[in-house]
Amino acid sequence: MAMIRFENVSKVYPEDIIVLQDVDVSIEAGEFVSLVGQSGAGKSTFLKLIYAEEMPTTGEVYFDERPISGIKRKHLPFLRRNIGNVFQDFKLFSQKTVFENVAYALEVYGKTNEEIQDEVPQILELVGLTGKENKYPKQLSGGEQQRVSMARALIRDPKVIIADEPTGNLDPIATKDIISLLLEINKLGTTVILATHNKSIVDKIGRRVITLDNGRVTRDEANGKYVL
Amino acid sequence: MKGLKLWRTFQEGARNYTRNGWLTVATVVVMTLSLFIVSMTMILGVTTGLILDSLRDKINISVSFNPEVPEESILSIKQSLEKYKEVAAVKYISRDQALSDFISMGGNDPVITQALEEIGENPLLASLNIKAHSPEQYDIIAQALNQSAFKEDISRINYEKNRTAIERLDNINKMTRKVGLVLGIVFISISFLITFNTIRINMHSRRNEFEIMRLVGASNTYVRMPSVFEGIFYGVTAALVTIALVFVSIRLMTPLTEGVIADGTLFQYYSSHFFKIALSITGLGILLGILGGFVAVRKYLKV
Repeated sequence: MAMIRFENVSKVYPEDIIVLQDVDVSIEAGEFVSLVGQSGAGKSTFLKLIYAEEMPTTGEVYFDERPISGIKRKHLPFLRRNIGNVFQDFKLFSQKTVFENVAYALEVYGKTNEEIQDEVPQILELVGLTGKENKYPKQLSGGEQQRVSMARALIRDPKVIIADEPTGNLDPIATKDIISLLLEINKLGTTVILATHNKSIVDKIGRRVITLDNGRVTRDEANGKYVL
Repeated sequence: MKGLKLWRTFQEGARNYTRNGWLTVATVVVMTLSLFIVSMTMILGVTTGLILDSLRDKINISVSFNPEVPEESILSIKQSLEKYKEVAAVKYISRDQALSDFISMGGNDPVITQALEEIGENPLLASLNIKAHSPEQYDIIAQALNQSAFKEDISRINYEKNRTAIERLDNINKMTRKVGLVLGIVFISISFLITFNTIRINMHSRRNEFEIMRLVGASNTYVRMPSVFEGIFYGVTAALVTIALVFVSIRLMTPLTEGVIADGTLFQYYSSHFFKIALSITGLGILLGILGGFVAVRKYLKV
């Protein structure tokens, strides 16, 4: 059973800008998928369709075999709690400390303070941020900020991690760290979808690669390389 | 769980309020100005009413009687006047009383005392001060007096003298009410719009946060509530500052209205209504804050 399934999905923005066209893709639980393509190829839209930030113009996206378009707006938070997002620009609360940023993901669904006090340090240890709990994002390096964002994505034990260019703003060493962290998470059973245009990373990972070009899936290989 | 989440959104609102520094200051300042304008418009309206009431209270018809009319006749006239339904009160002022009033009104001015001594006798007349229930009735009363059986005893009626004053006062009263109402509505609308906009700009500058909240899985209510609480905090702070400003302003206005208001000073009058005023301003501030917060975030919720 596929965890995420795109069935004949197209996405057209107003004024007939076609971003995705006839996409048919299945992603199984536990996979590590690299999504590659040039800027504007439709990678971000592909990801947004999974966490329901966008809805397909035609076709259907299924999460755990349930059509996402059938989810009521007010139930979207429940879908999103299964998905951990990591972004190029980290998307951290600048006014919150590292601890508070991560804790927020637990607060929104009503975990008690005791649970939060218990779980946040564990996850911060996993991403290597122990000792930085009380720092604000602007006091951290880019790599550290991305690890905060990873910790926030991971803390709810999501079924899938969606990483949209997570290394786009990072130096090579931080990039390596984040990718190995993603591989580690995947090893523990979480599905990872990584959108990137960093060729060396994709080639090194050596897992499934889906290539998008002008909104179409042009390659889908189990042991893929970055080919454009 | 609901209580816990509500408490968290409350804390979140409080944190935003304390951590946003200049945004908080700017929002509170604008809200304070807005509340201040609204309060002062109201206060000025009420004060004008107070002044007019006390002026109206001073209007009366004074009937002076010829010096040879004995006190008993005047008192019986007083009794018969009191039976008219238009008459609210009649006060008898004897010649002696009139003299002592006159002297005390002159503040014991030696020139006046000397002049009176030179005349040798009390030059003032006994009189009846008649008060009507409403200004329009003075005309009827004056006519009745002119046609009465005791017309011969009357030295003069000083109603005509007051008549224009009475009419002018009534016109002023009607005008201020109209102008006050229009100005009040205009001021209130403008200040509400400005406050709304300020809160919107405040929230707009933090729109990324609302996006993050949604992506992390917060429900719309959970995204919205902190802003609503934040709005309440802005409202309460602005209200407290406004209450202080309003009472300082009233204090400053008080000397200007000395003697124009019936009982006590302006400050005493408003101080006795302190809780009502403070509560109204606070309530208005909170309402503005809630609405502002609620509406401002709506845009970022994709509802």
